[in-house]
Amino acid sequence: MAVGGRDSKGGRDVLRTVGEASVLVLISLADRPRHGYALIQDIKEFAGVELGPGTLYGALDRLERLELVESLPAEERRHPYRITASGAQALRAHLDSVERVSTAGRLRLQLGGI
Amino acid sequence: MDGPRVPALVRTALRCYPARWRQRHGDEAAEVAVLLIRDGGAASTIAASYLTGAAREWLTPLPGRRVSPVACVLLAAACSLALSAGLLASASPARAATPSHGHGAVHCALVPPEAAVKPVAASRQQRFIGEVLRGRSC
Repeated sequence: MAVGGRDSKGGRDVLRTVGEASVLVLISLADRPRHGYALIQDIKEFAGVELGPGTLYGALDRLERLELVESLPAEERRHPYRITASGAQALRAHLDSVERVSTAGRLRLQLGGI
Repeated sequence: MDGPRVPALVRTALRCYPARWRQRHGDEAAEVAVLLIRDGGAASTIAASYLTGAAREWLTPLPGRRVSPVACVLLAAACSLALSAGLLASASPARAATPSHGHGAVHCALVPPEAAVKPVAASRQQRFIGEVLRGRSC
């Protein structure tokens, strides 16, 4: 998933190096805030990936350090997380980048006649 | 965090995290483990995921801190030693009579290769190496 280094405006794709789990977490948080278990369930549903809980919390910490997500006040034991404005911007840039590479790959497969 | 429903294996794995992480995520992480097990997940798989996460947490530098390459080499050497010790201990027939030995090696076997070569905060790394060498990280 770590493809492309620049977004459509020539800016840096900051998600290029954070790993697939972090990108999946950001996508899951793109529509509304979620807590840990809800994130795991949602990612399993839309991506077919069973994220381990250790991987999940590692990704959340990394994204929080980069200020791409923020923690909301705890509900009982659960801490919901929300995507920040810069997180949404970074996700858009990354998805643009992935789309460009995907399009190029399909085109080349077509040209190659494979 | 240590509710009665949380399997011992998972509790042990969660104890491997730094204290600040446990204060922040410990309760929720234990609850997530219980829910995943309820959904059919294996406690051992969940514990392994937390163990890997704990190793990564110890090895990830805090913002603004860096470690020399020498420290990274030392960490790799410590992990290799601990892993070898663990393998020897598990191969030894005497181990059956002393089940508490050799547990420290589990950590290093789970450290991902990319984590082992990352720059690490010196004090955190030294503590980690010390605990691994003493075989009581968990």
